[in-house]
Amino acid sequence: MKFLYIQILKDVWKELISNKVNLFFMILSLVISLTALNTIYSLGYSAKEQILNALANVQFGKDAMLILAGGGKIIGLTTTRRDTLKLGDAKEIEKLDFVKLVSPISLGTSEVSYKGNAEMIRIEGVFPNYTIATNWYPKTGRFINKNDLKRLSKVCVVGFDIPKKFGIKDPIGKKIKIRSEYFEIIGILESKPTFGHFNRNERIFIPLTTAQRRLFNKDYIDAIKILFQPGTNIDLAKYKIRQILRKRHKLYGIEPDDFRIITPDMAIKFFTSASKILTIFLLTISLISLIISGVIIMNLMYANIEEKSPIIALRVALGATSQRIIIHYLVMSLIIAFISGLIGWILSLLILKTIAYFTPLKAYFSWLTFLFSLSFAILTTIVFSLIPSVKATQVEPSILLKSL
Amino acid sequence: MVKKLVILKDITKTYQTGKVSYQVLKGINLEVEKGEFLAIMGASGSGKTTLLNIIGLLDKPTSGSYILDGEEVSKLSKQELAYIRNRKLGFIFQAFHLIPWATALENVLMPLLYRKEGISKKDEERAKKLLERLGLGDRIKAKPAELSGGQQQRVAIARALIGKPKLLLADEPTGNLDSKSSEEVIKIFRELNQEGITIIMVTHDPEIAKYAKRIKIIKDGNFIEK
Repeated sequence: MKFLYIQILKDVWKELISNKVNLFFMILSLVISLTALNTIYSLGYSAKEQILNALANVQFGKDAMLILAGGGKIIGLTTTRRDTLKLGDAKEIEKLDFVKLVSPISLGTSEVSYKGNAEMIRIEGVFPNYTIATNWYPKTGRFINKNDLKRLSKVCVVGFDIPKKFGIKDPIGKKIKIRSEYFEIIGILESKPTFGHFNRNERIFIPLTTAQRRLFNKDYIDAIKILFQPGTNIDLAKYKIRQILRKRHKLYGIEPDDFRIITPDMAIKFFTSASKILTIFLLTISLISLIISGVIIMNLMYANIEEKSPIIALRVALGATSQRIIIHYLVMSLIIAFISGLIGWILSLLILKTIAYFTPLKAYFSWLTFLFSLSFAILTTIVFSLIPSVKATQVEPSILLKSL
Repeated sequence: MVKKLVILKDITKTYQTGKVSYQVLKGINLEVEKGEFLAIMGASGSGKTTLLNIIGLLDKPTSGSYILDGEEVSKLSKQELAYIRNRKLGFIFQAFHLIPWATALENVLMPLLYRKEGISKKDEERAKKLLERLGLGDRIKAKPAELSGGQQQRVAIARALIGKPKLLLADEPTGNLDSKSSEEVIKIFRELNQEGITIIMVTHDPEIAKYAKRIKIIKDGNFIEK
């Protein structure tokens, strides 16, 4: 009995490889669609993961919030005054019991020069707790401390790529010119992955007080990074902070906010929406390719078996029951689907690994997508092999035998 | 022990093409005893192949009764007919009808693949012996395309015999063969018949038919008495 299955398998296999061209095209079309769907889905997923990781990496996980000066859309020009966010606001927010840490930031872009090299560089005036707020620590040297803040020290901590950019050897202790003032380099930050257009490793950090008084000459701040106690209800926190800021900025009624509160959700949404649209677009394409390959398989399979109906009649004449004929072609379609699935799986893994090797994207293989596409392929091959074979068994064998 | 292997009573067969119907068999009565070698002769279109297909359970009669080996078979289901074809009947076709991608040995063993037991080592030995006996001992691995017409027909005969059938049905078995191969094939038939196998053969060639023990002539859907 158990030999019977092996004998059937052998019989099916012989029939299958008797038409290698047909077999090749059936497998090819399945493999292409399987590979396309899986690769595209994986890349889309991996891009999203990448962004989430990057956000988590700068302490913008679920217990964080960012307040930006000026009202309006998250990204783009502000539609209100943007000089109303003050250090006092930060201090007030710090008093809330669910707030763990508040880190104000003053931003600006200034000309930075070192030995004749000059570049426009983003300068951030920060508090010492900036390292905790962003999970970003010096690789060498130290970060800005309270004394620097108190004394308005002309010291700076530079991003990882700055020394290379300006050709500074042994940067610690060297002086770098920002606008017209010389700043001593006291630390170099560790390298951070960047996303979007801004290279985070090409920034220079100075004490917030120094930035406000010596460099930018402004009394307002541009952003506040807030970390919450674990388990804080972000929506509630957002509501409370908004009330505080509106009250302090004397905004009443329908007057719009002159600040923007950015929650991790919004950040993720913003950064992933572009990749999501792309993913949907690519997924649509690969779904179409899956359907097209389904149609191709349908045709190949149908024609293949239709052509074989005299052989089916012969098998019936020799005593094969309809069940046996159905089993025969069921096994055949499963073999095709299995081979294609295996090749498609290996191929998509290879492509993913290759892409992961050349780009920052990680190879993420989704079994769910793979199984979905595989079952679609199996279903098409089965349905369109069974229809003609069942049809062939319905006809009196004597009629079909005539055409053999 | 049933003496009469085949009993056909008032068998008719009508083909319907659109509104036009065409009666091929018009009330055939036939009895074939065990151990007979019957040749059915007739011109083309006389209905002889249709009759053989009905005897071979490859086609259903429009009316009439058919008792095969003591069992009324005209009302059986497809499954049951398949079983009977596999166990009791052996077919030899004019165009051999071998499976092109299978070897001679695999073709011979094909009917056994459709039995619940599958193919045993013993069966394989028996198939090899059959092929040897038919002079194909050295060609068991050959595909049909690599064999001559006569050799292919001998493979088909081996295939018909592997299931130890009670009745061998041959439809113009020499129709595609040259005279030398034809003679070889018909001699095999004679031998098999002498060993006790019942044979019904359809042919239009009197030279071939004369080897049979009994000849029936069919014309316009019925036998004519000599």
